[in-house]
Amino acid sequence: MGEPVSGYALEMRHVGKRFPGTIAVDDVSFEVRAGEVHALVGENGAGKSTLMKILAGSFDDYTGEIAIGGRVVLLHSPTLAKHHGVGMIYQELSLARPISITENLLAGRLPRRGPLLDRPRARAQAKELLAFVGLDLDPNLPIEDISQHEAQLVEIAKVLGNRPSILVMDEPTSALSREEVERLFAIIGDLKRRGIAIVYISHHLPEIFRIADRVTVMRDGKKIDTRLVAEVSREEIVQMMVGRSVKEFYRRDERAIGEVRLRVRGLSRFGFFHGATFEARRGEILGICGLSGAGRTELARVLTGLDRADEGSIELDGKPVRGSTMADFLEQGISYLTEDRKTEGLAIRLPVEDNVLSAIVDRLSSAGVYSRARGKPAVERLIGELSIYPPDPSRTVGNLSGGNQQKVLLAKWLASEPRVLILDEPTRGVDIGAKITIHTSIEKLAREGCTVLLISSDLPELVGLCDRVMIMRKGHLIREMQYSECTEESLLLAANGEGAAS
Amino acid sequence: MSGTSPAGAPAAHPQRPGGADSRALRTGSFSSIVNTAGVYAIAVLFLLLGSVLQLTGAIGNFLSPQNLLNIVDAVALVGIVAVGMAFVTYSGNYADLSVPTTMGFTGYICIELLRYNFAVALAGALAVGLLIGVFNGFVVGRFKANPIIWTLAVNYVTMGVIRLVWVNKQIYPDMVGSQQHAVALFDAIYRLRFFNLIGLPLVILIVLVVVGQFVLARTSFGVKLKLTGSSPRAAKLSGIAVERAVMWSFVLVAFTATIAGLAVTSLSRVGAWYNGAGYDFKAVTAVVIGGMTLAGGRGTIFGVLGGSLIIGILNNIMTLLGIGTFSQDMVRGAIFIVVVGINALSLRRMGRDDA
Repeated sequence: MGEPVSGYALEMRHVGKRFPGTIAVDDVSFEVRAGEVHALVGENGAGKSTLMKILAGSFDDYTGEIAIGGRVVLLHSPTLAKHHGVGMIYQELSLARPISITENLLAGRLPRRGPLLDRPRARAQAKELLAFVGLDLDPNLPIEDISQHEAQLVEIAKVLGNRPSILVMDEPTSALSREEVERLFAIIGDLKRRGIAIVYISHHLPEIFRIADRVTVMRDGKKIDTRLVAEVSREEIVQMMVGRSVKEFYRRDERAIGEVRLRVRGLSRFGFFHGATFEARRGEILGICGLSGAGRTELARVLTGLDRADEGSIELDGKPVRGSTMADFLEQGISYLTEDRKTEGLAIRLPVEDNVLSAIVDRLSSAGVYSRARGKPAVERLIGELSIYPPDPSRTVGNLSGGNQQKVLLAKWLASEPRVLILDEPTRGVDIGAKITIHTSIEKLAREGCTVLLISSDLPELVGLCDRVMIMRKGHLIREMQYSECTEESLLLAANGEGAAS
Repeated sequence: MSGTSPAGAPAAHPQRPGGADSRALRTGSFSSIVNTAGVYAIAVLFLLLGSVLQLTGAIGNFLSPQNLLNIVDAVALVGIVAVGMAFVTYSGNYADLSVPTTMGFTGYICIELLRYNFAVALAGALAVGLLIGVFNGFVVGRFKANPIIWTLAVNYVTMGVIRLVWVNKQIYPDMVGSQQHAVALFDAIYRLRFFNLIGLPLVILIVLVVVGQFVLARTSFGVKLKLTGSSPRAAKLSGIAVERAVMWSFVLVAFTATIAGLAVTSLSRVGAWYNGAGYDFKAVTAVVIGGMTLAGGRGTIFGVLGGSLIIGILNNIMTLLGIGTFSQDMVRGAIFIVVVGINALSLRRMGRDDA
């Protein structure tokens, strides 16, 4: 493998990508050397995924210049990106489950003898790739017969099979156990020695300090800085990710916090979260902070009646919650805004109106006869209150922008007039305007006495809105922080299992 | 050409106010009203086509009162099944393919029970029909069985039961032991005509359409079914008992299939396993032509009535033209493919919009 003269395997110069209403990547210049592990960090929505998607050939309208191995290339399609040696390893597996490891690994380039598949050769090639990631598996096994982490490693082997010169890994350790992470790091070391340039995206700062040579921090679509890992501290990175303290950004209204409304004791769903115990009061916004996979959504699904708890109790205003279905919980005033807007939150083929009223169909009916007219004032009020655009109740939700879809989803749950509203990532992927509207609405709801549980990966959001934040890590609520203690730095460190308690 | 349209118009005209009513019922967006109107426009076009064919001498007596009555009678039978089928399609579960043998089986049951009295025979047939519906609805709703595969299997199992129990024999209403009075009433299911004109099946169809449209558009069940058909997961996370909604849609199709089965059996005066043959596909085609998308959650019962009308007129024209049964099947199949294709394309375009 010839070492390029410039030393850079990848150079992105003044790269930009605009979406309607937002600039996702704004004039970013970014270089990776051959044989270097370059960490890319930033909060959700900072633009790192979009930057990597540009590299993967997902867009044909990015601006700026990309050079690979010193030569300027156009990465306008995934095929082109692959051809120029870019390999992507995503969090979600791209393997076909029912077919064999061999066929997955060699998809599209299975060796042939005449018109027939050359089985022995395919098997040998597959073996070789598997050996490289330290797997000793029968390549004829279908993917569904191997474990999740083995599949993760097969995925890596598959990408390596294309002989990339640049490898992008997006949160590669999220599904791996400790030993497997060690194995992955060993593989990364091996790849470095072979002169492959590696871009490593992770929220786990300790990992970055273990394996990265340099780190680039992004925020709000811009590159903040690139530093040598050896010369930067954890706190400095967090500071760069978070930017200026946003505490003053949120104008904080005084809220009267009342008596205990929700009391959760020893709640467990085995394998997901254990012994969750907490109280939430009237008018309180209680945050739940944790890395993805910490069990936050699983906790929410039990609190809202979607899943059953294995043990523990939930009390609402001093009385145990009755019933076992979501409809029962909803009737008693517990509402849940899902993080998955498109498939679980909204019926995107239906109009705004139908979606806003979808959780209160029974309340709008008498003797089984449904009156949409009775729900009309609420729909119009909520469209106005959340400034849903266009302000047309009959508009199909699928034709609205992401931010407005999210507002419709919130409107649906506001219409249910909840006593406890559980919000799961209420502003993920929405523009800043919609975000401010949603935040204002959440604060107003709390002022009116509703108890809000806010699950979010958006640290400024947690710091800005919450009265208290619980830290969830690996299925346990490990710590609780009052508003006064909450800063983005302290939350991020706590969620990583560091700081005062771990 | 304009000379013939007044003759064609009256047949379609009584449905028109129905289209306007759907607006009064606020069934949804403007586009669904346009769609429903479009279905009736196509029905009128087919009527015109029949008239033109008669003028050119290609077919004999398309516009004769007797022929128009034949069309209406055929539409009534397909329409009754289609109204029930529409609920299954609306719920996002495509179709109930167990309709043909549900029709056949309930016919057998009714004839067998004529030995007691007509009420028992009717109740017995309905009970068996509804049982099949509950069974289908439970398995598809609760266990998320693929509705097409499951109901196809039930269709064959039921066929096997019929041929096993009745040793592959057809049975007749006036067999030994039947009550004469009960047989007369059974014969009347298809033959009773009000004012010597309007058959009982047509009356039943009109009642089903009006009630069905009301249920679909104005009841909490209809709204829940729309949400279920549009996005089952979002419906579930809105606290809607999705399983129950799906169950009811299968009970409704079994109910209308039973009624149609009794009418067909009354018409042919014979209990035979093949009595309902073809009604599954005719009904699904009527539903789809009527503007209900296979993806679920869209369409109206008024539209489905229009779809049944189109199917009825088309079949009639093809029969008058002397087109054989197999060729007719090919034409219906081709139309189905075209309509579903158009639907899929428009849905995909919507999907692209939201991406």
